[in-house]
Amino acid sequence: MSAKVPRNFRLLEELEKGEKGQGSDACSLGLDDGNDIMMTNWNGTILGPPHSVHENRIYSVKLHCDEQYPDVPPTVQFLSRINLPCVSQEDGKVDPTKLQCLGNWKREYTMETVLLELRRFMASGNNKKLPQPPEGSTF
Amino acid sequence: MALPKRIIKETERLVAEPVPGIQAIPHDDNLRYFDVSIHGPAQSPYEGGVFKLELFLPEDYPMTPPKIRFLTKIYHPNIDRLGRICLDVLKANWSPALQIRTILLSIQALLGAPNPDDPLANDVAQRWKEDEPGAIATAREWTQTHAAP
Repeated sequence: MSAKVPRNFRLLEELEKGEKGQGSDACSLGLDDGNDIMMTNWNGTILGPPHSVHENRIYSVKLHCDEQYPDVPPTVQFLSRINLPCVSQEDGKVDPTKLQCLGNWKREYTMETVLLELRRFMASGNNKKLPQPPEGSTF
Repeated sequence: MALPKRIIKETERLVAEPVPGIQAIPHDDNLRYFDVSIHGPAQSPYEGGVFKLELFLPEDYPMTPPKIRFLTKIYHPNIDRLGRICLDVLKANWSPALQIRTILLSIQALLGAPNPDDPLANDVAQRWKEDEPGAIATAREWTQTHAAP
């Protein structure tokens, strides 16, 4: 078994990957408050996948990493309105039981894992054709 | 998980022969993860403060340096808002001959000798160059506010 990276150093790695632009082009990630030494709240964006109703849209999400992250998954909430089966139409919260990577969370997963899986979910089967609220509307 | 002998030895020595003004205690559930405290050096703006840090020895330590950051807020040109430290021995000048002990001593020395020409916190470094007495006064205030023992 390998060394277990503690929460804060894991979050620093995720932050630095974002700062150095080493992450995926399809999403971005940053700290909500650059002074928050505990790095609890994050802002993410997801670029809507091509060949779907989401193409060219940019979705904003909030992620919350509590003290037990990454032993437990972050909580995720859309700020941009979106019609997607795993997203509550009341407040934009992502239902962890309806997204594979949250429901079957593994410690090696990152916030980027979650953003990219949400993007794949937008492009899958019926989801890519669902009618969407006006672009730019928010919860 | 077997802990490398090198880490066991270093930890034993840190506990048996602690460095004055420095404490490093491993977590019970992760022996590569240490709670650290460093006393601000005398005659520095950090004198009288006790600063908390966290230190982690990555899988390939000692081939790569320890990861370390401040948890206590500190006003210093080489330490940023998230407590990350700009110090050559933590990066390009790391050598496996260095140890946890020597790194913590280097950080304590950095508190005594801020280096605004190699900044990590640019706003702090700029102030340090333009108004050193003012910057030192702010560093003292922050020490009293955030690092009271």
